[in-house]
Amino acid sequence: MILNGVEIRDTFAEAFPMVGTRLIVTADTPEWALIAGRTTTGFATSVIGCGCEAGIERTLTPEETPDGRPGVSLLIFAMDFGSLKKVVPLRLGQCVLTCPTTACYAGIEGGKRVPLAKTIRYFADGHQISKKIGDKRFWRLPVMEGEFVCDEDTGSVEGVGGGNFLILARSRGEALKAAEAAVAAMVQVPGIILPFPGGVVRSGSKVGSKYKGLFASSNDAYCPTLRGTVPSQLPDEVGSVLEIVIDGVSFEAVAEATRVGITAVCAIGAEGGVVAIDAGNYGGNLGPFHFKLREIMQNGAGETA
Amino acid sequence: MTGVSLKPRAPFEARVDLSGLTPEVTGPLSLRELEHREVPCGGRSLKLAELFFVEGAPDGVLLVEIGDARLDGVGAGMTRGELIVDGTVGAFAGRGMSGGVLRIGGDAGDFLGSEMSGGRIELAGNAGAHAGAAGSGARRGLSGGVLQIGGHAGPRAAERQRGGLITIAGDAGEGLATGMIAGTVSVGGTIGPLAGRGMKRGTIFVNAVPELPAGFIDTGAHELVALRLIARRVPELSAMLSGWTHARRIVGDTLMGGQGEVLAGV
Repeated sequence: MILNGVEIRDTFAEAFPMVGTRLIVTADTPEWALIAGRTTTGFATSVIGCGCEAGIERTLTPEETPDGRPGVSLLIFAMDFGSLKKVVPLRLGQCVLTCPTTACYAGIEGGKRVPLAKTIRYFADGHQISKKIGDKRFWRLPVMEGEFVCDEDTGSVEGVGGGNFLILARSRGEALKAAEAAVAAMVQVPGIILPFPGGVVRSGSKVGSKYKGLFASSNDAYCPTLRGTVPSQLPDEVGSVLEIVIDGVSFEAVAEATRVGITAVCAIGAEGGVVAIDAGNYGGNLGPFHFKLREIMQNGAGETA
Repeated sequence: MTGVSLKPRAPFEARVDLSGLTPEVTGPLSLRELEHREVPCGGRSLKLAELFFVEGAPDGVLLVEIGDARLDGVGAGMTRGELIVDGTVGAFAGRGMSGGVLRIGGDAGDFLGSEMSGGRIELAGNAGAHAGAAGSGARRGLSGGVLQIGGHAGPRAAERQRGGLITIAGDAGEGLATGMIAGTVSVGGTIGPLAGRGMKRGTIFVNAVPELPAGFIDTGAHELVALRLIARRVPELSAMLSGWTHARRIVGDTLMGGQGEVLAGV
């Protein structure tokens, strides 16, 4: 398959089940909401080293938030529910509670409950007070700045982590430009995050390593400077590869983001230095979710293995 | 019309207890069965048809076409359905309700919504004493649901309230929220003396700082995000709170731990 001179390779991205939740963080200004969001989702690129994968799903207008202030919607994913229950209160306590003017609310109603103020309310040392409205309880924690308002818990969802595609380009600059275009388009898709810096990964990994104790190592088959020394996937004209990794609340959301991202890259096309689109997988034996690139670009959807 | 309609045949000569006559009870009955259902009246039991014209089709809605201050226990124990009273009711209306909607077009007597745990009561007029409070021998007053009073409330409203929401559009009598355990009360008008005495937790919203017992401490005026949240999440309070940016927070009763609060708009 060739789109605007870009080869869509006949392969698939292999993704895994993750458990995720959504937090709605508000603040007095959009800037402070964004600061809280960026802080909370910092150091959360990969579960391999960070314990979770997190990102800002989108910014929210005052009309969209529970308290009528500007906010951000955050998605946080972990490999299992137990891990999620640990990382969310930690990030809430260290990054949202501490951030001026913020409040935090549940962004998902269904699923198993992930504790929010249920855990961190004890910071108020007995001065915390709760209010139950309907079936929902929120807490008010006195802090030096005033009060921190936070829902007792939030819901969770069984999502998909590790959706991906690779941009093979002639040069580093052209790969970066294509990746930026993909990210700009993909962040408009609801229900997904791109957890890596700026949404882009330059150091895609393969499973395992020659060194004991390392679970992942550089994806040498896609490293241009190793071409000829290892079994390479890169033709001679490719000088740089960047990866986009996608986590989402559903298979459909990740598939749609993949489609939107590849479409944006292909719009730049061969004239813009893009050579091919590829994807990372492990032979299809590890992850149950397969995002077949050509099917997605033809039909707008993939399939579950 | 839908549902069953009860229209008094004549002014009641004694108090009538309708506490067993809720929409979930009347729904499965035929009109004939309903007419023969006995209700306490004074010291006797009378068939419903002796007191009311019974019309309509049972389907979960009960309409009392003309209310009377001698009708006690209207909607008491309701769990679902809708009960509408076109007029005034006596004591214990909606007592122990756990679901459904009770709409009263006139006034209500004492103990309206006492020990209620769910559902909604909408009273257009004034309530007697102990609205949403604990009845005799009960440990807790209203613990869930919504009690809306369109007029004034008598003494001791929300006494020992444990949860839920009570809104009083007019004035509240003395002893409002005495011994309150949790929950929310709002008062649009003035508040009588000794409000909040002995309250442990819970919130009383008022438009102006009331005179409070000695166990309350004024912490000053604050900009509270919780006000914005409540204004948006609780439609019954949105009109009152939507204009508030700050509130004076008076905590108490410190004799009981001081985790209750009176929030007055500033």
